[in-house]
Amino acid sequence: MSLERNEIIKLKSVDSLRQTMGDYFARLKNAVDTGKKIAWCTSVGPAELLYSMGFEVYFPENHGAMIGASKTADKYIPTAVSLGYSPEICSYLTSDIGAFLQNETPLQKSGFESVPKPDVLVYNTNQCHEVGDWFMFYAKHFNVPILAVNTPLWISELTPSIIESVANQFKDLVPELEKISGKKFEIEKFRKTVGLSHDGCVLWRKVLETAKAKPSPINFFDSAIHMGPIVVMRGTQYAVDYYKLLLAELEERIKNKQGAIPSEKLRIYWDGMPLWYKLSSHAKLFSSLDSCIVASTYCNSWVFDDLDANDPFQSSALAYCKLFIVRSDEEKQKVLEKLMKDFSIDGIIYHDAKTCGRNSNNRYGLPNRMNEINKIPYLEINGDLCDSRCYSEEQSIIAIETFIKQLSSRK
Amino acid sequence: MYKIGIDLGSSYTKGVLVDNDNKIVDYHLIRTGFDFNKAASKIIDKFSINNEIQYPVYTCGYGRDELKIPFVSNSEIIALSRAVFEKYKRKCSIIDIGGQDTKYVKINDLGQVDKFKMNRKCAAGTGSFIEELAFKMDIPTSEFTDYANNATEIVKINSYCTVFAVSEIIGMIKKGATMPNIILGIYNSVIARSLELSPVDDFLVLTGGIPDNHPVMLKLFQEKFVNCESPEKSQYYAAWGNVLLSN
Repeated sequence: MSLERNEIIKLKSVDSLRQTMGDYFARLKNAVDTGKKIAWCTSVGPAELLYSMGFEVYFPENHGAMIGASKTADKYIPTAVSLGYSPEICSYLTSDIGAFLQNETPLQKSGFESVPKPDVLVYNTNQCHEVGDWFMFYAKHFNVPILAVNTPLWISELTPSIIESVANQFKDLVPELEKISGKKFEIEKFRKTVGLSHDGCVLWRKVLETAKAKPSPINFFDSAIHMGPIVVMRGTQYAVDYYKLLLAELEERIKNKQGAIPSEKLRIYWDGMPLWYKLSSHAKLFSSLDSCIVASTYCNSWVFDDLDANDPFQSSALAYCKLFIVRSDEEKQKVLEKLMKDFSIDGIIYHDAKTCGRNSNNRYGLPNRMNEINKIPYLEINGDLCDSRCYSEEQSIIAIETFIKQLSSRK
Repeated sequence: MYKIGIDLGSSYTKGVLVDNDNKIVDYHLIRTGFDFNKAASKIIDKFSINNEIQYPVYTCGYGRDELKIPFVSNSEIIALSRAVFEKYKRKCSIIDIGGQDTKYVKINDLGQVDKFKMNRKCAAGTGSFIEELAFKMDIPTSEFTDYANNATEIVKINSYCTVFAVSEIIGMIKKGATMPNIILGIYNSVIARSLELSPVDDFLVLTGGIPDNHPVMLKLFQEKFVNCESPEKSQYYAAWGNVLLSN
């Protein structure tokens, strides 16, 4: 099978996305220049609370993804490794800290001298515990406070005690953040932010759900880029406005039966993180194979539609504990089984990311268990989110091409 | 007119000349080197001397899409499966141990691939593991089988990593382990890694350069799986499968 590159139809909204993300970084830059308070937050941390208290919010994981996508992680990781950070821990962490130590950042293209200095760092362990070690590096470096929400991992049943515990931890952040921001917490502002976050998440879910259409108007490689606003602007009008625009374009595509990959023959599910440094070449590869990755665990992870402005603390706790990554494999399997049906999936690809076990759902036998139930073939590929040294491209392409042939023979 | 199938592997390029009855009438194998076109040309030139060749040629392997001559490329796993099914006409598991890759493939009653898995990005469990250890021990791989046949006990090599396996073997030598026992241990290490790819619960077909060139491998597999065979010239099967897929 030769790799003739079929057409990938680009979304028109990409210009607005660029503008929306550019404006976000401009606000951060303005905060740096004017002394407005800046909070660093994990990607599924309490962004709504921070925005409601007047912080500009910076997300190191977004920065890690930018380093990955700019294919520079390999330059930075060794610097962190030389300081004793293992090459086997999160490569967002090692590439981000390595870049910082080299005084480089992709943000320099946006006029930043360095990453924006934090006034506080806030993390939630719902995704992993490594974020604590990551943020601690910067807390010590900048000598600023670090605050945490400790969420238990591997949640099977979302019990009231778990929700209560996490809700209380959210509440406990408030007096600390008041001291740092110099502003009094206002519940109405928090309600409004949680409401906006809910609205943004619902729109993002609808964006992803458009991929149920055949052909799908959007693929995983689009979504991985267009998820930017829901990660960094959750709880703002900016995200809501952007996703209204994107959703309208996708609905128009459905009406016109226009697929992201016009020759879509196979519908693939992607589990695990993107290989950021291969986003573009993977998009071309799957397109050349007439295959559309219509849904993914990763992009679905920013759907917090349990957020409720009427009960902002409890609903935040619920939403951030219900997150896929924090659940037991049994619960994850239920979610995945439903997605397979909803999106008419022909095959599943599990990306086992060398440095991110939490986002690699193939490690405890889940693919086999799923396959026994739904008989959907699957493929496991080895790679990493940022560290390209963990990825064998030739071997993976052979595996992907073979997998697509395998699926085609069943059609 | 004859068709040519070429498997452009990481270590070796394997070519077969196939007649109108889909029978292999000639084989040729050369080191791949770094120029896939050159490797393919050598195969084609060899076959062209006395035969009329039909183009395109049928390719698989790492260099499958690199040729300047007319070609049709395939996945080597699909090609290998096609050839194994042609030979055995039954569902089975295949373990293919090549220079850089080890693959597990399960094919169904129709010869379709039901499942496959490849080794991780690591040389352990592949031919490179054997070649590297042979180089470090300064023993030609061609002598490995003779050594292994004289083993008196199995030495267990625990290291996942080829480099660390060398250090481990040095430690074994210091403790008095014999070379035949160590070499048998190396074979068993490769087998253990290949069996990590998937459980094997049906007829097992062993293919690739390693079983072809190291007949003791088949014997060791057969000690674990009564229902196990390795067809003659199995390392040419993917090349042959390419041609079969063209029909």
